[in-house]
Amino acid sequence: MSGDEIEEVDEAEGRRSIGEILREQVVAAGRALIFPAVALAIALLVGVVVILITGNSVIEAYAALLRGGFGSRQALGRTISNATPLIFTGLAVAIPFRGGLFNIGGEGQLFIGAIAGVWIGLTMPGPGPLVAFVAIIVAGLAGWIWGAIPGLLKIWGAHEVITTIMLNFIGINLTFWLAKNPLSGEGAVPGTGFVPEGVRLTRLGGGLGAAHYGFVLGIVAAIVAYILIWRTTKGYELRTVGQAPGAARYAGMSVAANSFLAIALGGMFAGLGGGLESLGTFGKVSVPFISNLGFNGIGVALLGRNHPAGVVLGAIFFGGLAAGAQQMQFSTGVPLDLADVLLAIVLLFVTATKLVEYLLGRRARTFAAGTRLEKGLAG
Amino acid sequence: MDELTALLASTIRNATPLAFAALGGLFSERSGVINIGLEGMMLISAFAGVAGAQGSGSTVFGLLVALAVGLLFGLVHAVASITFEADQIISGIAINLLALGGTGLLMVLFFGSGGTSPRIEPFSRIDIPLLADIPIVGAIFSQSVLVYLLYALVPITWWVLYRSRFGLRLRAVGEVPEAVDTAGVNVFRLRYIGVGLSGMLAGLGGAFLSMSLLSAFTEGMTNGRGFIALAALIFGRWNPVGAFAAALLFGFAQAVVFRGGIGFTVPQEFIEMFPYLLVIVALVGFGGRAVPPAASGQPYRKE
Repeated sequence: MSGDEIEEVDEAEGRRSIGEILREQVVAAGRALIFPAVALAIALLVGVVVILITGNSVIEAYAALLRGGFGSRQALGRTISNATPLIFTGLAVAIPFRGGLFNIGGEGQLFIGAIAGVWIGLTMPGPGPLVAFVAIIVAGLAGWIWGAIPGLLKIWGAHEVITTIMLNFIGINLTFWLAKNPLSGEGAVPGTGFVPEGVRLTRLGGGLGAAHYGFVLGIVAAIVAYILIWRTTKGYELRTVGQAPGAARYAGMSVAANSFLAIALGGMFAGLGGGLESLGTFGKVSVPFISNLGFNGIGVALLGRNHPAGVVLGAIFFGGLAAGAQQMQFSTGVPLDLADVLLAIVLLFVTATKLVEYLLGRRARTFAAGTRLEKGLAG
Repeated sequence: MDELTALLASTIRNATPLAFAALGGLFSERSGVINIGLEGMMLISAFAGVAGAQGSGSTVFGLLVALAVGLLFGLVHAVASITFEADQIISGIAINLLALGGTGLLMVLFFGSGGTSPRIEPFSRIDIPLLADIPIVGAIFSQSVLVYLLYALVPITWWVLYRSRFGLRLRAVGEVPEAVDTAGVNVFRLRYIGVGLSGMLAGLGGAFLSMSLLSAFTEGMTNGRGFIALAALIFGRWNPVGAFAAALLFGFAQAVVFRGGIGFTVPQEFIEMFPYLLVIVALVGFGGRAVPPAASGQPYRKE
């Protein structure tokens, strides 16, 4: 796990020319993109095969995909709308990852955040913007708590991969129960009622359709995450614990406390994403509620190499893919499920160290940093 | 009495797909490869079985197709995580998404639209003479052919794992692959076999869903069963008999939900949480901690 941290370590090595530094930065960025690029290339190739099987023109289908994702204001609005929760669920994976933990619990944390936000939205009196503000905070807190549980369980020796999977289903079922019972609405569709209009997040406008200010908050969240993890002492500790727990312990850092912080923070981001979905996009929690955003966040984080900037780009990419797939189905008949298949293939290969090594030679192994945790379940 | 018989029969029916997939997870995880992709392997095989049966007119042929596709998905997981050293957890999640998207895509390509496939002729129920007539317990012996296959597979798996040379090596490869390698046994081959078997067994579980429990494929029909199977595997301490017992317990919980409770009313959502809660309890150590195979999760690199 070295590689993309090299530039920070090397700075102590004395003065270098600006040219050298620039060159190194470009090389580092290039290396960072190798894994996502290889995975994407394979996915698009599989896509070509699928499109040919359906008897369509590859160029037409991919053109429609691109047009549907980014070709018009409406398309861009759908992409932004899709990307908003993915920024949060992506951060929910990326931050724990930097602390050495794998958070697969984004799905459950998002549900808990969504229902907590709606709970405040439905029950708190007061002016709309204030209620919305409190609701979003509470959504984040609820996600924090749902993320803190695997953090605590980890201290007691239960691996977070398994506990977060289990907590997904517990969280989803708890959310459904809350939405159908204490918070149940009057409507024919099972779920909560709508939060008052004044509480719902303002739309971005400008022909962007349903896209709301949650997207702006997503960008802010990514910046906050970056500052927190890369520009504070606490963040430095968290990353050290993630990369070299032995060294961190030797330096007097608490591995347990930092692991806990990392996954609880992850939960908070997923919870915020859930709150913004329920308060912004839907205005309620219906049963069944939106799904797979938590799992797709894993793909977003890995494609973005677990860096906040990469997460934002990854979320926009995945959001665009989902939006574009609808257009593709509409204009060429290629089923929109192709988008899920492409996403799955990206995920399948985005951490494939050996594959990149086969394709690009042994030196490529060091490029793996930021895409994988080098330890097992029992570790 | 009738109520009890029906509850037992339903428990077994609901436990069967979980048990198949849990046995599948067992072979993979005992070889040192985590398999979170059980859900996806079940789902794609559930589809493949129906598509095969629909295309050929033969339910048995459909089952073979389901097994082949399960194996194929197992091998995808193996190639990605063993050969290419992709992260096993991520590869498993990718398998799940691939099956979800893939079945959606294939439904349109095969049957013209998503949703539910046309009906097929399911595996019929077979009553074992005499045994099926015993009050209540008879429900155990009045089941689909696939259930009897499961009854046989549990002891066979136990024997293979704990009494055969292959099983010894498989378990060793999941704990200390270096030692197995030093002894001249091919670690990669063993893991491929483990993950391949895993795909086939999960595939059996999926095929049972679409070709026995129901008689058609519906998108997303596994509905988390692959994860409950994972829970059964962990709660059963990575042991075939334990996993089967856990699957029965979770199958009972589902039977209670489907049959509308047994006297007292617990909301459905809470009953559905039950397997997952039990796993967490098992992991933090009540009644002896559940400890996964030591090498699970790590790619093996020959030095």
